[in-house]
Amino acid sequence: MASWGPIALTAVTASLLALPVAPALFELQKRRDAAPLTVSRHSGRTENFAESFQSRLEPLLPELERCRAKNEVTRISIDGLEALLVGRDDFNFSHEDIGPVEAIMLAHPTIVPAGCEVSVDLYAASTLELGAGAIVRAALSIGDVTLCENSSVLRWLHSRGNVRLRCGSAVKGRLSAEEWIALSGSCRFLRVSAPEIVTADDIPAPGRVSQRKAIEGHNLHSEYAASAARRHRVRGDFVLPAGETLNGDIIATGEVRIGAGAQLRGSIKSYKDVVIEDDASVNGSIVGEKSLRLGRRSYAAGPIMAERGVVIDGESRIGEPDCPTTISSASVEIAAGCRIHGTIWAREQGSIES
Amino acid sequence: MLLALFRITLLLICIYTARHYWFTLNRLFSRQRHPYVDIGTASWPAITVVIAAHNEEAVVADILRALLEVDYPQDRLAIVPVNDRSTDRTREIIDGYVEQYPRIKPFHRIAGKPGKAAALKDAMELVETEIVLIFDADYVPGKALIRQLVAPFFDPEVGAVMGRVVPLNVGKKLLTRMLDLERSGGYQVDQQARMNLHMVPQYGGTVAGVRKSALDEIGGWNEKSLAEDTDLTYRLLLAGWKTAYENRAECYEEVPESWPVRVRQIMRWAKGHNQAMTSYMFRTASSSGLNWYERLDGVLLLGVYLMGPVLVVGWLLAVVLFYTGVEIGGGLTVLALGAFTTLGNFAAFFEIAAAARLDGSRERIRLLPLTLFGFTVSLVSVSRAAWQQLQGVLFGEADLVWNKTERSRTAPVLEDARLPALEESH
Repeated sequence: MASWGPIALTAVTASLLALPVAPALFELQKRRDAAPLTVSRHSGRTENFAESFQSRLEPLLPELERCRAKNEVTRISIDGLEALLVGRDDFNFSHEDIGPVEAIMLAHPTIVPAGCEVSVDLYAASTLELGAGAIVRAALSIGDVTLCENSSVLRWLHSRGNVRLRCGSAVKGRLSAEEWIALSGSCRFLRVSAPEIVTADDIPAPGRVSQRKAIEGHNLHSEYAASAARRHRVRGDFVLPAGETLNGDIIATGEVRIGAGAQLRGSIKSYKDVVIEDDASVNGSIVGEKSLRLGRRSYAAGPIMAERGVVIDGESRIGEPDCPTTISSASVEIAAGCRIHGTIWAREQGSIES
Repeated sequence: MLLALFRITLLLICIYTARHYWFTLNRLFSRQRHPYVDIGTASWPAITVVIAAHNEEAVVADILRALLEVDYPQDRLAIVPVNDRSTDRTREIIDGYVEQYPRIKPFHRIAGKPGKAAALKDAMELVETEIVLIFDADYVPGKALIRQLVAPFFDPEVGAVMGRVVPLNVGKKLLTRMLDLERSGGYQVDQQARMNLHMVPQYGGTVAGVRKSALDEIGGWNEKSLAEDTDLTYRLLLAGWKTAYENRAECYEEVPESWPVRVRQIMRWAKGHNQAMTSYMFRTASSSGLNWYERLDGVLLLGVYLMGPVLVVGWLLAVVLFYTGVEIGGGLTVLALGAFTTLGNFAAFFEIAAAARLDGSRERIRLLPLTLFGFTVSLVSVSRAAWQQLQGVLFGEADLVWNKTERSRTAPVLEDARLPALEESH
């Protein structure tokens, strides 16, 4: 007993020590997870999903054209992607017609019937309209897109032309267009990107959006945001009185308020809230660690970042056609009559005031 | 006397243990701050990318090619490779690129004080833009990285930006696998937690950016510093500028593949960091312009390389006190000691495990017990560095010599099709 006791104790202790090391030595030998971590591969552009979808479907375009010419519907598989090519103009999206596919390619102008649910990705070679209450998983359209009342897209929607969201409709992922996007009251969104985004009580007629008259007097370049402007550091709140102009950046540990009609030629950083009152303008970026409110007819060159929420009152303008910008916050609420150039990122909820 | 010293040691260890747990739990369960990550559309400012290169013939072509492919307005992007007294083919390779791409504006430094800070200081003569990004020559930026690093500068309070470095040569050796885990802990948990908590994210000197007006305001690069990154972090902080950490601005780096190189690297870091500690600890602790949590984190960050020798001293004292029969204290001390030996030892490893989980790593987390070996080497190295510095102070021996980390790469990585970040561009 006495002779093998120390040996047993040593063996047990060694085993206990070796226990956690054994998986380590196994991994060291087998190298099952020895590759470098994958780092970000893309720039985070809103259109990434649509571009990826387009590149997968590119080889099928000649076949879609053939279907259109012959007025027929064909199923086809390419690189593991099952697609339905629709050359007919009377396709009605019934489950029997769709079958087990991942994508539907539509050759003609198409209306997804009211109340219809399409759980596959759509490619529309022409215009696309979602009837009232219709639901589509994702869509890429070469032509214009209209979402009628209370319709929705679950993942992403991209148009080579323009997109109109009518009252109560929603895009729950990424929404982008190469010309403009018009958002009606009660619309909901998360990420929106276009050269021009307008909010309106009623949907503007085609072409009317781009022809809107620019707000006068806000033509300064947003490079203020990264310039060596003079810094004004403030402990506590800061107020720029109504009608006054200030050159330089404001960094305040309290709330920052830009009075009605005042102009700040610089950027803002606030540890609390930021309030830009009616008709005021900021020719640089605005960073708020809490929330931000832009009053009526106000202007900001951007980018705009507020960690809690952004509220933009009517007829405000963000960014410039030649200097698009970003609005980023947990929630973004925009009133009718606003014009935004660039991207809106609402991480939790974006909405248009009804 | 010894007992008092032992208690102080114990207290310091407990403070740093709590700090590790605080950061890790914050990273796992609290709201994460990435305020600038969504800025993808903006009027991007003109910038200069400075590449620090001293005898970098093995790697400098990679970074030049990668920068020529980045997703940033080309008319607003100046590239300045700083060839710092190289004696290999670095100059020849850079000049070859300049012939093909005239927008690369090289700075060939043939004399002057050695060291990265001194080279950067001289190179600033060529910088005409407000935003300057800094890369070491062995880094390989992805296409989106430049925008991600520039975006925080739209915040007028941000004076410097730090991205995340990700080891590329992970699978080479045990050391590289250890360093991969260590880097994950340092960036994925430590730096991001500091960002979440509005504390002091550290400017790391590469995959980083600085606002030129802020740099000018604090007197430019400090060429006397061995760790120009830590030095800059604190001078900016004390001048009212913030450093922003961008966890998703990721860039590959090459980590040391041999233990002697690693030991030299960490000794240089330790000496530079300790040097900054002597310069800025009191000023940070007493600065009225900082919040209490910035002051606390700033002081603890400055002391981080001192914890190696503190731990060694603590162990020695524990042995001495035990064998001399000294009563080491009441219940609280014993409890603290017990807590440390059961939990404190593992705080750093908990941090690494959390980081590996956040990175989505599955199998590499099994290597955690082996990091004890890397930890021991680091402990001895930083203690040695501190001892050498102490000797310098006591006997007037100057030992603040800048040593470049030797590269292991022998062939360009951009031709490697397995490189995940660059698949898109090929």
